[in-house]
Amino acid sequence: MTEALEIIQKAPREGATFDVVLACGFTPLHLRTFLRAHLQQRFPSRPVNVAEGLYGDVPGTLAGAAKQPVQAIALALEWPDLDPRLGFRSSGIWRTETELHETVDAALARLSDAILALPAHVRVAVSLPTTPLPPLFHTTGWQASTAELLLDQKLSIFAATLAQRRGLSFVNFRRLEEDSPPASRYDLRSDLLTGLPYTVAHADALAAALGRLLAPAVPKKGVITDLDDTLWDGILGDAGPEGVSWDLASHQHLHGLYQKMLAGLSEQGVLIGVASKNDPDLVDRVFQRPDLLLPRARVFPLEVHWNAKSGSVARILDAWNIGADSVVFVDDSPMELAEVAAAHPGIQCLRFPKGDYAATLAMLRELGDLAGKDYVSAEDALRAESIRQSADFRRQAADGAATETFLAQANARIEADWGASANDQRVLELVNKTNQFNLNGIRFTEADWQARLVQPGAFTVVFSYDDKFGPLGKIAVMQGTRQGARLCIAVWVMSCRAFSRRIEHQCLKLLFERFEAAEIRFEFAPTPRNGPLQQFFADLTGHPPCAPFAITREQFAEHCPPLYHQVVASREGA
Amino acid sequence: MNDVDARLLRCFRVVFPNVAETDLRTASQDSIETWDSVATITLANVIEDEFHRPVDFERLDELTSFDRFREYLAEKATPEMDAP
Repeated sequence: MTEALEIIQKAPREGATFDVVLACGFTPLHLRTFLRAHLQQRFPSRPVNVAEGLYGDVPGTLAGAAKQPVQAIALALEWPDLDPRLGFRSSGIWRTETELHETVDAALARLSDAILALPAHVRVAVSLPTTPLPPLFHTTGWQASTAELLLDQKLSIFAATLAQRRGLSFVNFRRLEEDSPPASRYDLRSDLLTGLPYTVAHADALAAALGRLLAPAVPKKGVITDLDDTLWDGILGDAGPEGVSWDLASHQHLHGLYQKMLAGLSEQGVLIGVASKNDPDLVDRVFQRPDLLLPRARVFPLEVHWNAKSGSVARILDAWNIGADSVVFVDDSPMELAEVAAAHPGIQCLRFPKGDYAATLAMLRELGDLAGKDYVSAEDALRAESIRQSADFRRQAADGAATETFLAQANARIEADWGASANDQRVLELVNKTNQFNLNGIRFTEADWQARLVQPGAFTVVFSYDDKFGPLGKIAVMQGTRQGARLCIAVWVMSCRAFSRRIEHQCLKLLFERFEAAEIRFEFAPTPRNGPLQQFFADLTGHPPCAPFAITREQFAEHCPPLYHQVVASREGA
Repeated sequence: MNDVDARLLRCFRVVFPNVAETDLRTASQDSIETWDSVATITLANVIEDEFHRPVDFERLDELTSFDRFREYLAEKATPEMDAP
């Protein structure tokens, strides 16, 4: 508690606030303090405000929040929110269980309506009841009564239905049980005397869980894995391609689980690469084995040789065109992990704890936490293949004399969507995840983004790309405002997968043409990572920028190279 | 100022960061505008943390000033509570 209060006291006073409503039917007390402290840790540079709602009226609090300019809502449900008689503070008792269930059905319907009425850009985190029911059912404490099971069923259906709403997520009750054991959650004294049903420890754990959902970490984009004693058991050079194992029969299923997890991550768009000191021919033969759970097609690139792994990781990062801080490196050797960590600051290193079942489970869960995401988009399914295609593209385009011919024959097609929805999660994901081609590195919550799009004169354009090598999906976003013949671009990001195709030139050309603009001003700010964008601007203006600047239509036309894309406008916006 | 006073003062400082330290030693619900029922409960929890001893929530109504908290702690004093 003291630590939480100190975190709040040290919070910044200036800057855009992150405004949250804590909706709960009880007196929030420490839950509010802890929620604010946990969110403050996740937003160290902006003040966090947590407003509390109406006692005993969660739907009313949600209805009020819907009319306020809040960025997020934390909703901590407890049994009395479904029927006050399910709380320890109530002296009422139900006449029949049927009557109780009717009340609960009506309460859940009201809650559901109130949640669905919230603006789509408001992020919502919900915890279902975490405290015990009062011992008022006819069964013994160790027997689940039909009434309790029905309550659980109603809550599950309620949650599963609402979880489909974008930006709404539920606290994983199984994980919460590990952080806050059920027997240590309820404080009857506090409930009866202050109205807060939680122990201090449980309030802290629940606030942490809600905070993680309201301000999730940016998911890792790639996993680089070792092979021997990591992806499989055994040393390939000693055991041979048929001698390495990962199955139950050989008691090496820990490696099979790891393969299965990597295959699953790959399905959701996480890039998988290999850095192994090994014989490439032998590795090829293992990847031809039909029982391997991670298909060869899911892995790119494979760096297999006897040189330092830090070099392998550098080449993989280059092929993926992402920074080390977006990647997890997994190896069984502490020495290899240390060598890679020293060469690539920011990379997340995980040791594969060979033979240690508990530690392997913990490692797999950590990997899932690092790379997990709210939803999987169409672009996620394209990512691995488009990275492979991009590598081919860059390799062929790097041949200087042939570049023009190559680009001209790429059959490139750019689709400009001028009517992109503010609720398109892929757009905000691209804005918040892109580092290298990012105008200023500013990140946005859903609510920040929504506010930006409704400014006077605001426009947003989202670019998708495909060529004969395959589709890249939505790869660039520009957002700005129009003031007569002048455009002001505040947000411009482009996926690193789309480099070397002159898409950035086409983006500017389209803007100049569509708005008949005489000048475009860029709200540029240098970041440690936006070197590629700085180089692009340096090529256009003759020197790398260090602050906001403008270029004229004539200046752009003078420096724009030939463009070969077929351009399509998919939707018309404002 | 003895050790208990110093530790109690630290608790008050955490809960009322905007009140001058000299005023905290004479603080009461009447002298501090932000000292409401929530602040009393928060103080009780911070004091529980600091002194490793539960505060009787039934007696929160009595704990209306720095002096009252000090008297309460003296009444409940145990050897382990005196340990820093």
